[in-house]
Amino acid sequence: MEIALIILVLVLLAFAGTPLFVIITAAAILGFYYNGIDLSVITIEIYRITSTPLLLALPLFTFAGYLLSESNTSKRLVHLSRSLLGWLPAEMVAVTLFACALFTAFTGATGVTIVALGALLYPALKQVGYSDRFSLGLVTSAGSLGLLLPPSLPLILYVVVAQQLNLGESISITDAFIAGILPTLLMLFLLGIWSLWVSRKAVIPLTPFDGKTAWAALKEAKWELPLPLFVLGGIYGGLFAVSEAAAMTALYVLLIEVFVYKEIRLRDLPRIMSESMTVVGGILLILGVSLAFTNFLIDIEIPLKLFEWTQAQITSKYTFLALLNIILLILGAFLDIFSALVIMVPLILPVAIGYGINPIHLGIIFLANMQLGYLTPPVGINLFIASYRFNRPIEDIYQASLPFLLVLLVAVLIITYLPLLYY
Amino acid sequence: MLLRMYRFLLRFEESLLVIILLCTIIFAVAQIFLRNFFHSGIPWGDSLVRIMVLWLGLIGAMIASRNHRHIKIDIISRHLTPPNQIRLRRFTDIITSAVCLVVAWYAYVFVRIEYQDGMIAFENVPVWVTEVIIPLAFFTMAVRYLISALLPDSMQSD
Repeated sequence: MEIALIILVLVLLAFAGTPLFVIITAAAILGFYYNGIDLSVITIEIYRITSTPLLLALPLFTFAGYLLSESNTSKRLVHLSRSLLGWLPAEMVAVTLFACALFTAFTGATGVTIVALGALLYPALKQVGYSDRFSLGLVTSAGSLGLLLPPSLPLILYVVVAQQLNLGESISITDAFIAGILPTLLMLFLLGIWSLWVSRKAVIPLTPFDGKTAWAALKEAKWELPLPLFVLGGIYGGLFAVSEAAAMTALYVLLIEVFVYKEIRLRDLPRIMSESMTVVGGILLILGVSLAFTNFLIDIEIPLKLFEWTQAQITSKYTFLALLNIILLILGAFLDIFSALVIMVPLILPVAIGYGINPIHLGIIFLANMQLGYLTPPVGINLFIASYRFNRPIEDIYQASLPFLLVLLVAVLIITYLPLLYY
Repeated sequence: MLLRMYRFLLRFEESLLVIILLCTIIFAVAQIFLRNFFHSGIPWGDSLVRIMVLWLGLIGAMIASRNHRHIKIDIISRHLTPPNQIRLRRFTDIITSAVCLVVAWYAYVFVRIEYQDGMIAFENVPVWVTEVIIPLAFFTMAVRYLISALLPDSMQSD
């Protein structure tokens, strides 16, 4: 009874806008206090951040992402994709999907894609003849793609949290990075097919491939072209670890944007650094206090009880997956992806493993569902960003993005129930 | 005078962040080159980098508390009138401040014990020095949220 009341108060406080790290810390403090455990354990848990080498990737990739979104990378990316894909039918759709996925992967899924790329893609889509509603919906939903592509931060954070749990199954970041590729391609493919179908009657002129323009665009972007190679080649080729790839990327991006492209002035650097580290701080703080809270939950055997309870209620793996989908969709509509990861993964992962679900597969399911959460009314964050960015009422955005949300839902269901995508 | 001191503190916070971030990048890259080309490396380099990540995160969190940039769910306040929004936020600010203060206190006690133990993190840097940012960050956040809760309506911003 008392516990129920405390939980209710904490949830109300969270809804009232109390920072989430405070809610989690308060829960941990109360939990430890009632169980007679010294509260200095919270400090020890926060300090555990220093025992996770992989976490180095978080500030470094975030910083690199901020540098990229502050310079004209988005312009060059769109320009390059258009000159390379221009001969395709529905080239602008392909360009939108491709550029958004790549940009999101590199800028860490913090909502900058719609801000940085939307302003270029939305008018361009309308200009080549797509309807306003279609263009709006496509840009809004494409802004959520790329979450499962390396080096996306949520993917890294999932592996960090999963590794902290010591579940006896090895969870490697490289596996997670590989596992995310096919699901992303599936989403791109389904969205592409849907777009072709919807706009089958629109007259979209084809631009023939022009070698000269393509070459110029390539040259324009030549310094940024090696970036995916760094990350992908470095990691998949085993040249360096993910955190090292992050360090190389951060240094390289810093050098080219400041000294080669000269699009970021030296005196802007402190501002960009402090803005990007504010985001990192928010995430790391939640991670730190969640480590403490999770430790408390494990102390009082909550994951075990949850596991036994679920096992008693649900026997089939597929019923469990269906339930998981529903819970994650609701969660994704309210919580941001980083908080959802650090709070829910410690509870869900042990249960999922009990049903024979591979931890990497669970990570992909988790993030794919969260990605839908970005677009789920009433509070999906991408809907608000799009509404703000394109200066349109939120209802317009709901309407425009709904069909795309449904297409992505189909993709997420396929990803959830067909694990053969991963091995 | 007080204002000047406050500005100095803000500057100091940012400078520390910039220095640590640059050091982290340079150190991490240097380690890669040393290992791959010279088959060596600074033995305490990896520990230092991991500790700097903690510092980056906590200084970032301190800066985030300057203007309510911490991650939160915001579904009630957008249905309220602006004066009520401010009232609600004063209330959540007080709660935030209190929770941060509790953490800061216990972190301080913990760091003091570590100081007496005199354990070494790497080279001749004691562990307590690397931990000192934890009480400091939580104390700073507690103070900032308290100030924000007490500021007059006219000075409340987003």
